[in-house]
Amino acid sequence: MLPLEHLQTTMARSVLAIEPMVSEKILTAGKADPLARLRIYQNNTRSSLTAVLMAVFPVTVRLVDERFFRYVASEFIRRHPPVESRLARYGAGFPRFLKTIDTLSDLPIVAETARLEWAIAEALDTASLPPRSLAEYDNTDFGLSPNILLQPSLRLIVSHWSILSVWMAHQQETAVDENVTWIRRPERVALWRSGNYVRLFLLDRASFAFWHSLKHGLGIEHATGRALALDPAFDLVSALVRLFRDRLVTDVRVASNSPSN
Amino acid sequence: MSTLFSQLAIPASAGIGLRSPHISEMLTRRPSAGWLEVHAENYMGDGAGVEALERLRETYPLSVHGVGLSLGSAGGVDSDHLERLRRVCERFQPDLVSEHLAWSVADGAYLNDLLPLRYDEEALAIVARNVETVQDTLKRRVLIENLSAYLAFADSSMSEAEFLAELVARTGCGLLLDVNNVHVSAHNLEYDARAFIDALPEDAVGEIHLAGHATNQVGADTVLIDDHGSRVPPAVWALYEHAISRLGPRPTLIEWDTDVPVLDVLLGEAMWADMLTASIIFSRKQAARQAAAAKPRPVSPAPFENVKTSMPVLAAFAAAKAGPVMSAALTPMEGIYDVAA
Repeated sequence: MLPLEHLQTTMARSVLAIEPMVSEKILTAGKADPLARLRIYQNNTRSSLTAVLMAVFPVTVRLVDERFFRYVASEFIRRHPPVESRLARYGAGFPRFLKTIDTLSDLPIVAETARLEWAIAEALDTASLPPRSLAEYDNTDFGLSPNILLQPSLRLIVSHWSILSVWMAHQQETAVDENVTWIRRPERVALWRSGNYVRLFLLDRASFAFWHSLKHGLGIEHATGRALALDPAFDLVSALVRLFRDRLVTDVRVASNSPSN
Repeated sequence: MSTLFSQLAIPASAGIGLRSPHISEMLTRRPSAGWLEVHAENYMGDGAGVEALERLRETYPLSVHGVGLSLGSAGGVDSDHLERLRRVCERFQPDLVSEHLAWSVADGAYLNDLLPLRYDEEALAIVARNVETVQDTLKRRVLIENLSAYLAFADSSMSEAEFLAELVARTGCGLLLDVNNVHVSAHNLEYDARAFIDALPEDAVGEIHLAGHATNQVGADTVLIDDHGSRVPPAVWALYEHAISRLGPRPTLIEWDTDVPVLDVLLGEAMWADMLTASIIFSRKQAARQAAAAKPRPVSPAPFENVKTSMPVLAAFAAAKAGPVMSAALTPMEGIYDVAA
């Protein structure tokens, strides 16, 4: 008789279809075929995890056709099953996995759109902190380079492809002309959770660099320097007003030291 | 940061499983439901659903039902996951916490399904150790749910009911009797569903689950699939009646996880469970009165003579006929809940 740990490992590999089915001698199912019953567990695992991926990547499903998505998803599940039971965390590696699929090698926008969808899923599972207003800091001296803390759900994505345009086009039920939306054009996307929704915006290069620096705690001086290097016309005041207006600022703190880079 | 919720004990009446399509309506309508149950794993992040549950928790008694702890794993429970469950309990202060007699993690993979154990002494020692770890960490008694199964192990040395009874004796845990699971497993593995229920230590049963299942035909094999995707079928209601007759009223949950219908369907199923329980208790009392009248001498009370059945759903049903009631103190949720926004 197998020790329980060995038995469970063998069963798990059978359920994930990594190894052939376990010996039917160890199983019973009344008058039914125990291996046919074991396949119910295989189906349950594959179909429930596929449903999880389809819920996280709905636009990707539409881009590649549902049947093909299901095939790719089942391969992903077999090779990269979840490592924990928080299914909100399952699918992080799926965009990268899509890049390895030969059939999709001519369609890089598929994996890039999946990357955007994963960022949306992450944002939806992240806290939305109370935003601060500019008026709260009327009489506050922050020194030369305060740190501006942004919503933790903020995700910044840059792609060589028109991912946000594709994603937006697929929010309607109507058919999408892929020739119009699948364009090799850099898009810099900012997204964050706002209550029950995720807000998504395109940013220009300078604003993206500014937000990116702030998100990584590099302080306003460093962020402004990077933005100005990309666009000498970058307007710091407008950029700050926008951050507060979009309810992205969660705190402003005096910087403890200046960044070295 | 944990919030202090007022003590809202779960009544021995019917509640519903809270599912994301219903959250917005629950927040705006605040319908009468005895209590709510949530899957712990859905509230381990910081999404909008977590904020909504904090608001609902102010109104409803809550049960937290884990689906991913894998109490049957020979490798032990995942300490990180247990810590997340502890934080969920700290945050929402549930009145009941439950998990499954099953395993779902092995070889570093989470299978997202509940697999049966080989019911023997080795497994019992492992599950008892895992349950004790959980109870010590959460500092509370947990309820362990029987499984719906499609196969069993030839080398099992005891039945699932015997295993559960021994687990209760060793760990002091409670039981969550899933009546639909009993029906599904009894059909699939060809045993007596009523005998299964009768073999459980009745004082340990702290909660009951009810749900629907699917019937699949694979060749000559008719297999019941525990999909929680339909109304509670007559056979499960009949088994529930048997359970309530034996156990008395228990907190009873209507579970619905696939093809989730409108909220009123769940509330209607909960109301039916309450009515069935009330009917059984009424019949018991009537029978006891008749017996007392036939034999005019002192008798000990019938098993359920002193049980007070809480029936908020029925009360609400009567109130709803008189007109909708909304508390002015409740803040309606803006917009709709849409996790796929």
